[in-house]
Amino acid sequence: MPEYLIAIDDTDDIGTRGTGDIAQQLGQILAIDCGGVASPVTRHQLLVHPDIPYTSHNSAMCFALKGDISPQRLKQLASELLEAESAAAADPGLAFMCLSSFTSNAALVEFGLAAKRRVLTKDEAYGLAADIGVHLSEHGGTGQGVIGALAGLGLRLEGNDGRLKGHFDVGQGDDELSLPVSVLLAQTGVDAVIALDDTELADEVPVRVRGKLKAVWRQGRSAILVSFRDGAWRNAGKQELKEY
Amino acid sequence: MTDFFECRGGRWWYRHGVSLTEARLAAGACQGFVPDDEDEQVDDVPLSCVNCAWRRWEQGSFQCLYLKRLHPDNSL
Repeated sequence: MPEYLIAIDDTDDIGTRGTGDIAQQLGQILAIDCGGVASPVTRHQLLVHPDIPYTSHNSAMCFALKGDISPQRLKQLASELLEAESAAAADPGLAFMCLSSFTSNAALVEFGLAAKRRVLTKDEAYGLAADIGVHLSEHGGTGQGVIGALAGLGLRLEGNDGRLKGHFDVGQGDDELSLPVSVLLAQTGVDAVIALDDTELADEVPVRVRGKLKAVWRQGRSAILVSFRDGAWRNAGKQELKEY
Repeated sequence: MTDFFECRGGRWWYRHGVSLTEARLAAGACQGFVPDDEDEQVDDVPLSCVNCAWRRWEQGSFQCLYLKRLHPDNSL
């Protein structure tokens, strides 16, 4: 069964639906259409710079889709959603490729990493996409979002960038709840629980969970991030997650 | 609220880099706070300028687009 990687960028504006929400909806639409499965969405922070036009965040969203769908059908459904849901002032971009037949990981990863360090152009994005066989299209405004969309694919492929959209409810509410790693993994579907230094916690280790429980994208998999504070492992706060 | 920001070039720049202490105080004194998408929030205290949809990140700090809209002629 084919597996695609799909990314979008620059669909929102202040007071409108976030790009992450649209990415999540696109995954659901595609999965229903082809009877496939969409992965969680990852958010990838790109360079904040005066020469880069963006609304507030400059972050791209990416997800994987396992399903028997043609590239033409994928593009059609994605285009319809982006054009219907993107903010009027946005400059949406769409990028995708079929992972099963893709052989240019290094070039795409390099583009993604470069988008975190320097200002890139649409010409660079289109040039690379044509060279390595990635679909790239714009869906309104200036289409500047194609840069972030292509970078989003590269950063997801790189495997050590970004946070998963959303958060997990394991019954913690506002109260602190202590759960072993094995239970956290079972209840969230996340692949691992890791410390800030990437050390993986063993199944039996207790983790104290409070507030928003979020996951990051590390070593090509989803992981709940924890830190050792006040004598116990606790889920990472927003400031610790900000680095991802 | 405007004590925490400086108007330069028609833009309202946060004076305190990325400090959360002042960002929370500023948001507490603001009538225009709108929580951003949860995935874009970076302070565990919800009422904080860095969690606001009007916040626009810049290198090393952010600017407030609400103040820009509130004071289009840059006057208080």
